[in-house]
Amino acid sequence: MRTKLLVGAALAVVAWFLPYGLDSYAIHVVNVILIFAILAVGLGLVMGIAGQVNLSQVAFFGVGAYATAILTTHAGLGFWVSGLLAIAATVLIGIVIGTPALRVQSHYLGIVTLGLALAFTNWVTNAEVAGGAEGISGIPSPELPGVDLSSEYLYYYLELIVFAVALAFGLFVVRTALGRRMRAMRDDALAAGALGAEVPMLRMTAFMLASVYGGLAGVLYAGLIRYVAPESFNIANMFLLLAMVIIGGRQSLIGCVVGAISLALVREMLVDHPTIAQLAYGSVVVLVVVFAPTGLAGLPRRARAYLDHRRGARGTAAQLGAFQPYEPAASASGDELLAVQGVSKQFRGLKALDDVSLTVAAGEIRGIVGPNGSGKTTLFNVISGLYKPTRGRVVFRGTDMTGRAPYRLARAGMARTFQNLRLFGDLTVEENLLVALDRSRTLSAWRYLLRPLNVLRRDRALRRSATDVLHRYGLTQFASLAPKSLPYGIQRRVEIARAVAADPALLLLDEPAAGLNGEEVRQLAEIVRSIRDSGRTVIIIEHNMGLVMSLCEQITVLAGGRVIAEGTPSHVAGHPAVIEAYLGDTGEFEGATR
Amino acid sequence: MVRMRATLAVLAVVLAAGCSAPGSDSEDAGSDSGPIKIAVVDAQSGQLSSLGAWELKGARLAVDEWNAQGGVNGRQIQLDVFDDQGDPTIGTNLARKIDSEGYIAMIGTAESAVTIAMAPLLKQAEIPNITSGQSPGLVATKSEFLFLNGPTSTTYDETLAKHIVDQEGIKSIAMITNNGGYGKGEHDAFLKALRSRGVTPLADQVVTADQKDFSAVLTSIRQKNPKVIFLGAEEVESGLIVKQARDLGITATFAGAAPQGTPVFIDTAGAKNAEGAIVSSPYLSNDIDEASKKFAAAYKAKFNEEAELHGAKAYDGTQILLTALKTSNVASGKQLADAIRATKHDGLLGDFAFDETGVGIFETSIGVIKGGKLVAAES
Repeated sequence: MRTKLLVGAALAVVAWFLPYGLDSYAIHVVNVILIFAILAVGLGLVMGIAGQVNLSQVAFFGVGAYATAILTTHAGLGFWVSGLLAIAATVLIGIVIGTPALRVQSHYLGIVTLGLALAFTNWVTNAEVAGGAEGISGIPSPELPGVDLSSEYLYYYLELIVFAVALAFGLFVVRTALGRRMRAMRDDALAAGALGAEVPMLRMTAFMLASVYGGLAGVLYAGLIRYVAPESFNIANMFLLLAMVIIGGRQSLIGCVVGAISLALVREMLVDHPTIAQLAYGSVVVLVVVFAPTGLAGLPRRARAYLDHRRGARGTAAQLGAFQPYEPAASASGDELLAVQGVSKQFRGLKALDDVSLTVAAGEIRGIVGPNGSGKTTLFNVISGLYKPTRGRVVFRGTDMTGRAPYRLARAGMARTFQNLRLFGDLTVEENLLVALDRSRTLSAWRYLLRPLNVLRRDRALRRSATDVLHRYGLTQFASLAPKSLPYGIQRRVEIARAVAADPALLLLDEPAAGLNGEEVRQLAEIVRSIRDSGRTVIIIEHNMGLVMSLCEQITVLAGGRVIAEGTPSHVAGHPAVIEAYLGDTGEFEGATR
Repeated sequence: MVRMRATLAVLAVVLAAGCSAPGSDSEDAGSDSGPIKIAVVDAQSGQLSSLGAWELKGARLAVDEWNAQGGVNGRQIQLDVFDDQGDPTIGTNLARKIDSEGYIAMIGTAESAVTIAMAPLLKQAEIPNITSGQSPGLVATKSEFLFLNGPTSTTYDETLAKHIVDQEGIKSIAMITNNGGYGKGEHDAFLKALRSRGVTPLADQVVTADQKDFSAVLTSIRQKNPKVIFLGAEEVESGLIVKQARDLGITATFAGAAPQGTPVFIDTAGAKNAEGAIVSSPYLSNDIDEASKKFAAAYKAKFNEEAELHGAKAYDGTQILLTALKTSNVASGKQLADAIRATKHDGLLGDFAFDETGVGIFETSIGVIKGGKLVAAES
């Protein structure tokens, strides 16, 4: 931490003195690079952090620059007023361009946003107000009392300050609740939603953030170059930006800045050698992608991992601690918490659920068992909102929640784990828990602008709770590790800890014992009982009959999408339909005994 | 504690230094010995690189001819090329770069937007610039250091409209232009020229810059049955339009500016289909007169390819610059700009005589495609 601060301070000093050593050409290049660095940070936020493929960053850049140009030259407004309005306009455009992200993702989103970027250059080439192919010249330079901003040396300081603030704000977002939630959404949108992250809202927020950075860069560009033309915002520049983010390392904002600076410098060096420029430029990109897939920002970590590997010593391995039971709480047991009423779910020809009804009382541990393909996980998916039932209703805490988005159900007090583990792979164990612990609304992200200290304070409180949870589940030593690096049993435990951290009234566990050894299963039973004793209701899908029989008070048996039996473990175990379902056709069974 | 004090000391220095503004912009370009440094700034990569390559060849040819005869005032001329990638932002970087590296004049660019972006910086640095751009926006920069090596696009279309409407008396005209930078400029300029003559086009169709099929547009134009169809698109697209129009049975005459006179256009359209097309260009062909024949032969000998308009324009521009350097005794800055303005040059494109806007040629010639070749129209 201390070295980081020192490096940061040293860089700040270097940046402050930089102009004294540069001629007018170099300072201009540096000014342009800073603008691209701001753009790259914005693109890094939306693509690297939030995982939304955005190929219209250059259009945000263009809207900011063009809006400034039009407002200063046509409407005669001052530069600063125009700049603010331009950023507002860019945010509006950002929201429009972000809308497709609600429906499509990954490469489809890339194509849609690329199309919108092309539409932008096309529009400015042909629009009267944008000056057509000739663009708009004669943009006035910004005025500041006592500072001549038409000097590129002094303009550098304006850019440097904006850049520093923009980068700091970006880092602030990434390291606190909003950015964590975005990274969770990037790694697994489904699991993030099931933990209460408002995925649509988050995607729009990501595009909005990117557009603010685009707009900022556009305004600075207009003030620096004082001329805008369609070619400045063409697709070639979009790919340059993309290359900057990929080369730098898209999951780190500092990486994006490093990428922007190094690629811009390479490009600048190559203008003297036009014949080899394209080739050399392409080679640099290819080399980095092949030999440093995590980008330049990932190099130190890779180097460290390599050195550790060479040394062989990995220190002492982290140990799993014992689970500390929750304080028992008096639960208002007996009331109906969840009611599934006549739910059917049809997948084209396949009827996965057929008129399933069940009610779960508060404070209960309910087991759901059944042969493979009997519809258990489908039922979970309907209850937690991932599937919309074809027919029937799901009533949770007295409210009809049928077909609500998973994040709404999560906010209403439901949490779940997944059959095949869905931990956020690029977040640490602690961050996985922090995502669940954070119950704030995404809308409250306005605090980032107006009350940043409040955000910090809340984040510190969250970290304290995370420490408690880590301690309770004996995961303290794994806090800073990536979930992927952990043994399977520990990953299972992290997922349960994460679901409980979301403070649900109803916890859905989908095959929590799968892949666990005997001792781990015993610990699991202890954990689940303690969770129930702390006042929560648990529904558990499980194949391990020993666990189900000893743990659950009530068991529902599904077969072929229907409820075939329900009752206490002993009642269900002796039920003929259950025996039939598990052992096959009774006729055959009898035939075999004869 | 020591570290704390050190930090404070550094901070104090930073603040003190912050009060005096950095930047000392005093080094001057023109030295009196060594080669004369001239920069060619053009797109050498990207979509516009063919224009950039032609322009570089034209300039190179002129410079080599002068160097072979001993240069200017006994000093050789050094021509260096910089790649602007057709991007205005890089253009501004390069404007600063050629300033700091002591180039006294610049040839290029072929892309108006890049040149417009560079103009204020070159004006500030007092570096005369002879561009191949032809947008009216170049004139609007009002830089006394910016010169055009050809007519503006307004001139092309004004001359064309004058020929078609005033001389031939044709008023039944349709327009097809593309929505790219070039097409849009042509569209506006030609429409303006028509309007000033009280003519409204029968059709005003806009296509995209990379469109390949024009049947819908052409079918609607066929119904209007115009006598002349104006084309505002690049060489290949124009050729495709003409080819497809003939296939649809459209017999109208085509008219356009420089791209419609090029061999690329004629080859794409087919010589038979392009027959009779009216072209407005300052440089009709390589064998229009003695000067162009000599230029084309030298160009062919040096680069082993046929000369064309852009090379000719850059050649003229460079000749003017070198002549001005000679008459001004290798001056730089304002003096050199004045010398360029004062230079009267009988070039490939016509007689250059610059006015205060930096334009030296105010008319184009009208040519007609006959037998697959562009020849001067008899008037």
